[in-house]
Amino acid sequence: MTAVVIIMGIALLLLGVLVLGLLRSHADILKQLHDLGAGDRANRTRPPLRTRPGVPTPRTGVTPAHDIIGSTPSGGTLKIGIEGSTGLTLLAFLSTGCLSCRGFWEAFAREDLALPGGQTRLVIVTKSLEQESTSQLNKLAPAHHPTIASSEAWDAYDVPVSPYFILIDGSSGMTLGEGAAATWPQVDNLLTQAMADLGVAPSTDSQGSGTAARSGAAREAKVDEELAAAGITPGHPSLYPEDSADEEESE
Amino acid sequence: MALISGGGIEVDLPSGWDAEIYQRPADQGASSVLGLQEQTNAVLHAANFALPSLRGDFGSGAVELMTDADLLIVLFEHNPEDAAAPLFETQGIPLPLSPDDFAPGQMQRTLSGLAGSQRFFNAAGRAWCLYVVVAELELAALVSIANDVLASLDLQEI
Repeated sequence: MTAVVIIMGIALLLLGVLVLGLLRSHADILKQLHDLGAGDRANRTRPPLRTRPGVPTPRTGVTPAHDIIGSTPSGGTLKIGIEGSTGLTLLAFLSTGCLSCRGFWEAFAREDLALPGGQTRLVIVTKSLEQESTSQLNKLAPAHHPTIASSEAWDAYDVPVSPYFILIDGSSGMTLGEGAAATWPQVDNLLTQAMADLGVAPSTDSQGSGTAARSGAAREAKVDEELAAAGITPGHPSLYPEDSADEEESE
Repeated sequence: MALISGGGIEVDLPSGWDAEIYQRPADQGASSVLGLQEQTNAVLHAANFALPSLRGDFGSGAVELMTDADLLIVLFEHNPEDAAAPLFETQGIPLPLSPDDFAPGQMQRTLSGLAGSQRFFNAAGRAWCLYVVVAELELAALVSIANDVLASLDLQEI
């Protein structure tokens, strides 16, 4: 009996040592995971975002709107008002020397070019005249959209590459979307998505008020206006499908 | 405010304003037909709305887009030899403009809801026409803004 008790005691001791070892090992693992930031979202250090070569890294902050002062292709002085202006402005940062800009110059020369937002104003921004080919710029600059040569604007908007696009809502001074793309349809798609994500409805309204149609009260008013134009006013039967169903059943 | 300059014209403009100072190339077609050499001079357009790219020297193409809160300032230089003509006898920029100076009939082309004012003067030995168009609905307020901007105008000899 005494021998059995001694054996059981030794076994219990060994088990205790084993459990302590396991607990210590587990604590070491937890400590190492904590040092790596696991389970602590607030203090976790994010690894730097990587992009493909030639693709600029997305900005972490919002680019504030600035007016642009520069030269016209023919050497005049031009100021484009953006701060506090009504409506949307699409800044297209292009260069006369970049091959990937060629498609955009050609697209912008089209009179029937449709811009996201309907009443959006397109402004082409090149670097200052001394950094561009002025003969090329005079050939490429479209007649129906302003072209301004201003290296200061490239610095102010921190433009990483060309071609590069920034869509600005002047009334809020907010950048709605920005980025680089290879073709105009890609840019159009990206900007339309950005506007939809932010609740800025692309408008094809030829009467455009000049301000971005936003979600909320403005959006509600626009919906009301469109319903009224279709003859659907408050109390219209089509707004009460259940009542209509009841009426049909009673008939 | 932002200072822009060119062609001997310097003006301080509020944020959000569009402006252009340019000198249009001479019309070669007209010159060859009439046997005359057209002389072009400096022109300033400044507006509190987005100016279209295609405009006439006196703002055609832009005035048609103006709404009830808009203001357009045109400063057009005539040939310097005209500076001594009676039309330009007023010395210096004729300021301040008064709301009473504005009338739809002063417009180059009458447009509903807009009123204009034209003044001829000489400054820096150059002959100028100042043409301002405002929305009638906000006439007094817009004329006041125009006076503030025009007070910053500096015309220089070239």
